[in-house]
Amino acid sequence: MGKDKTAKKKNLLRSGLSVNIIGAIVILLVLFGVISSAIGLVSFTNAFKREYSTTTYHMADTAATLVKGDHLSEYVDGAYAYEYQQTRAYLDAYCKKIRVSLIYVIQVDRSDYGRFVSVFNLVDNTVDDTEYTAWEPGYKRDTTNDEYRQKYKAIYEQSSEYETVYRIKTTDGQHPHITTMVPVKDSSDEVCAILCIQRPVRELYDARRPYLINIAISTVLLAVAVSVFAGFFIRKQFVLPVQQVSDEATRFARENTQGEPLGNISRFEVISNLAHSIDTLERDMCSYVDNLTAVTAEKERIGAELSLASTIQDNSVPNVFPAFPGRDDFDIYASMTPAREVGGDFYNFFLIDDDHLAIVIGDVSGKGIPAALFMMVTNILITDRTKMGGTPEQILDYVNENICAHNKADMFVTVWLGILQLSTGKLTAANAGHEYPVLRTGGGAYELVRDKHGFVVGGMETTRYKGYEMTLQPGSSLFLYTDGVPEASDKENRLFGVGRMLEVLNADPGASPEKVLSGMSAAIEEYAGGAEQFDDITMLCIEYKGSSEGKENA
Amino acid sequence: MLNITKTAEGKKFCFALDGSLNTNTADEFEKQLREILPEAEELYIDLKDLTYISSAGLRVLLSAQKQMSRQGVMKVKNAGGFILETFEITGFTEILDLE
Repeated sequence: MGKDKTAKKKNLLRSGLSVNIIGAIVILLVLFGVISSAIGLVSFTNAFKREYSTTTYHMADTAATLVKGDHLSEYVDGAYAYEYQQTRAYLDAYCKKIRVSLIYVIQVDRSDYGRFVSVFNLVDNTVDDTEYTAWEPGYKRDTTNDEYRQKYKAIYEQSSEYETVYRIKTTDGQHPHITTMVPVKDSSDEVCAILCIQRPVRELYDARRPYLINIAISTVLLAVAVSVFAGFFIRKQFVLPVQQVSDEATRFARENTQGEPLGNISRFEVISNLAHSIDTLERDMCSYVDNLTAVTAEKERIGAELSLASTIQDNSVPNVFPAFPGRDDFDIYASMTPAREVGGDFYNFFLIDDDHLAIVIGDVSGKGIPAALFMMVTNILITDRTKMGGTPEQILDYVNENICAHNKADMFVTVWLGILQLSTGKLTAANAGHEYPVLRTGGGAYELVRDKHGFVVGGMETTRYKGYEMTLQPGSSLFLYTDGVPEASDKENRLFGVGRMLEVLNADPGASPEKVLSGMSAAIEEYAGGAEQFDDITMLCIEYKGSSEGKENA
Repeated sequence: MLNITKTAEGKKFCFALDGSLNTNTADEFEKQLREILPEAEELYIDLKDLTYISSAGLRVLLSAQKQMSRQGVMKVKNAGGFILETFEITGFTEILDLE
C-alpha cells in the first residue's frame, strides 16, 4: 500500500516536471508566434499600403493626362460637349480597365477648400460590389472632412505630388478603400482641378489572411514538434536523470549505504556532473564511515587492552596494604602512578625467608607499552633470581647479563635492590644507576645516601655491580623513589627537585610510611599546580621498627 | 624544546644540544644520529646548553656510544650541573667519554 502510494507520488512528480517544462516551452512558443506574427503583420500591412498607394498614384497620374484642364469650368456649363464626352469615355474605359471603384475630377473652392464641384465622375460598381451613383457634372458638395481639406490644399499648392486617404477600417458601412488624388493641370501648368481614384483594398485582406493562417499553422506545428521533442529528449535527458539523482540522494540519506553508481545519465553536463558528484559523495562517505568505524573499533580495542594491561601491571606488584599485617617489626608502603595507562616504573618487596625482606625499585627508560613490557620482564627476573639467594650485586649481575642478551632496543632500567635482615637491621644493597635512597636514622632527619653507583641494568653486558652494607637502627626509615619525584615539574617547567623532596620528608619526619607517601603525593600535586606530569611517579617507604626479640630484650 | 645544531667535517660530526632532551625530543635526536652513525668515525656531543635529560635521552646516548665504541670515538663535552648529576646517578659516567 505504502509503496504503491510512494510510486504514484513519484510518477506524479515526474510527469509534473515534464508537463511543467513542456508547458513552459509551448507557452513561450505561442507567445513568440503571436509577437512575431503581429510584428510581421504590421510591417506587411505597411509595405502593402505603401506599394498599393504608389501603384494607385501611377494609375491616377495616367488618368490625369487624359483630362485637358483648360475647359473644365466650361464642361459644367455644357460647352465643349464633344471634348467632354470624349474625355469621359476615355476615363470610363480606363476606370473599367484598371478595376477601381471610382475615378472623379473635382474643382475645389480654393478660399477654404470646404466645397467642390464635380466635373467627371465614373463609377464601376462591379469591382467591389458597391452601389455608388455617379455625380452629374456641376454637382456641388461640401468637403467630407478636415483630412480631405488638408490634402486638397496640398495638391493645389503643389507641396506634394499626390495624396492618399486610407479608409481601411470603415465604420460607416463603406467598403474599405484608399483614395489617391493627383493634380489636373491646364496648358499654363497651373493646378485647376484634382483627379481622385478610389480603389478597394480587398486585396490587402485577401493577402493578409493566408499570411496569418500560415503563421498560425507553423506555430502550432512547431509547438507540437517541440513538445514531442521535449517529451522524448528532455524527459530522457533531463527529467528522468534529475528524478534518478533525487531518488538516489533520498535513498542515500535514508540508508547510508553505497548504491549502484549513476554514471553518465544525461547529455546535460550539469546533471551528469551532479550524478558524478552524488556517486563520489556516496563512495567517499561510505569509505569515510567504514574508516571511522574501523578506527573507532581499533581505538576501543586498544583502549580496552590498555585498561586490561594497566590492571595486570598494577597487580604485578604488591598493592594491598598493610602488606604484612602479621608483622610488627617493619611497616612498608608503596605507590606507583604511571604517566600513561601503563608505565616503566616498578617497585617490589617480598620476604625471601622469615628474616630477609627484599626491596626493589626500578625505572625503565622511556614510557608507555615498551617500557611496561621491559618492566615486567625485569621485575620477574629480579624476583626469581632474588628468591634463589645471593647478594644484591650477584643478582644484578645475573639480571643485567640476561637482559643484555636479548636487548635489541637498547633499553635499560635503573634498579636499586636491597635485602634487609629483619632480625639485625643489616641492609645489603646495590644500585644500578638509580636515584640515591633517602635514609632517616633513628630520630634524626631524612638524608640522601650517596651510595655506590653502578651502570644501569641492560646497558652494557660487561657491567659488574658492587654492593654495600649499612645497618638500620630501629626507628629508621628508608625512602626510595624514581626520578618522577624530583623531576615533577610545574607549569613553567621548573623541577620539583631533590632539595624540595627532602624538605617535604623532614616536615614530618616521624610520619608512618603511608603518611610519608600521601604527604609527598600531595606536595607534588600542589607544586605541579595542574601541570601534566610526563614521567611515571613511584615511591616506596619502609620503617624498620626492630626485631620483636630485640624490643623484648630492650 | 630542543634545538639540535649539527656540524659535519668529513667523517667527524658534532651535535650541539640546546634545551631539554626528553621523551618528546629524543626521537628527533635519535633520527639525526642514525643518519650519520653508519659513516661516523668521530662523534662529539656538546651538552653545554642542555638543561634536562630524561631516561629516553640517556638511551639515545647509550645507543650511540655502543655503536661508536665499535667504529671510532665518541666524546660528550661540557656536561655540567643537572646533566652531570644524572650521568653520575645512572652510572653513565662509567661508559661515556666525558670531557
